[in-house]
Amino acid sequence: MGDKIMTERKIMMIQYVTGILSVFLVSVHLLYQGVIVPYEKAISFSQVLSLYRHIFYGSMLEILLVVILVHGFNGLRIILLELNQSQDWSKAVDIITVIATVVTIAYGTRTVILAVFGGVS
Amino acid sequence: MEKGRERNRRGIRGWFDPTVPNNLERWAYFFQRLTGLGILAYVIGHIGDTSFFVGGPFGTGPNQSSWSFDLSITENVVGHLILIFVVLIVTFHGINGIRLILAELGIMVGKPSKIEYPYRPSSLRSVQRHIIWVAIVLAVLAAIWAGSILFG
Repeated sequence: MGDKIMTERKIMMIQYVTGILSVFLVSVHLLYQGVIVPYEKAISFSQVLSLYRHIFYGSMLEILLVVILVHGFNGLRIILLELNQSQDWSKAVDIITVIATVVTIAYGTRTVILAVFGGVS
Repeated sequence: MEKGRERNRRGIRGWFDPTVPNNLERWAYFFQRLTGLGILAYVIGHIGDTSFFVGGPFGTGPNQSSWSFDLSITENVVGHLILIFVVLIVTFHGINGIRLILAELGIMVGKPSKIEYPYRPSSLRSVQRHIIWVAIVLAVLAAIWAGSILFG
């Protein structure tokens, strides 16, 4: 029981850290969509390609992907755990949210990898 | 114990607890969860739609025609209204989230005081409550700004 509480405390700290990181990363991401770069240009194929292949911005997109999905799915997990306190429910919620997080991060990472290393057509 | 269990089983109905009047924090709690779920739904959709930059689920690399197809679906009035709404809820969620972290750390929640009629806790009169209004105002301003960019 004590270990479980400690684990939840650590998970909550992860929630706060990813939350603060998300505020910063989402702000930068939004600024690139119409403020730093005009919106029409920001969504153009050549601009998106150059951003993916920029070492700083491309890395930031991948970090943003991981940070926001960990924060989002852990938030969903917290909401679902509040709805019911049974052990079976908690275990099912934990497993499903972890799988959903991993699958979504994998799909998003695939996009980043292909955008950076794939051949342009 | 049973009563306690029952209280914990109010589920989503518990989000709308109207028993405490003038409880701005309760509404902030409710909207923090609601906006969080909305943002997560958008992010999942956004990851799906940006994958068309590399040709979609079966693509192999940056693909101009696939990206043009994606933009033809998302770049319209409805798509822009959704983006403005996303900016609105993201801004609120972010600022209110920082408020919650500060509250968790005991920052800006007011000093403990003697309980006196009309029993208003100091935390509901402190900077914490003002930050909720700041979050609402900045969210609206950010949405207006996004609207001016997308429709300007």
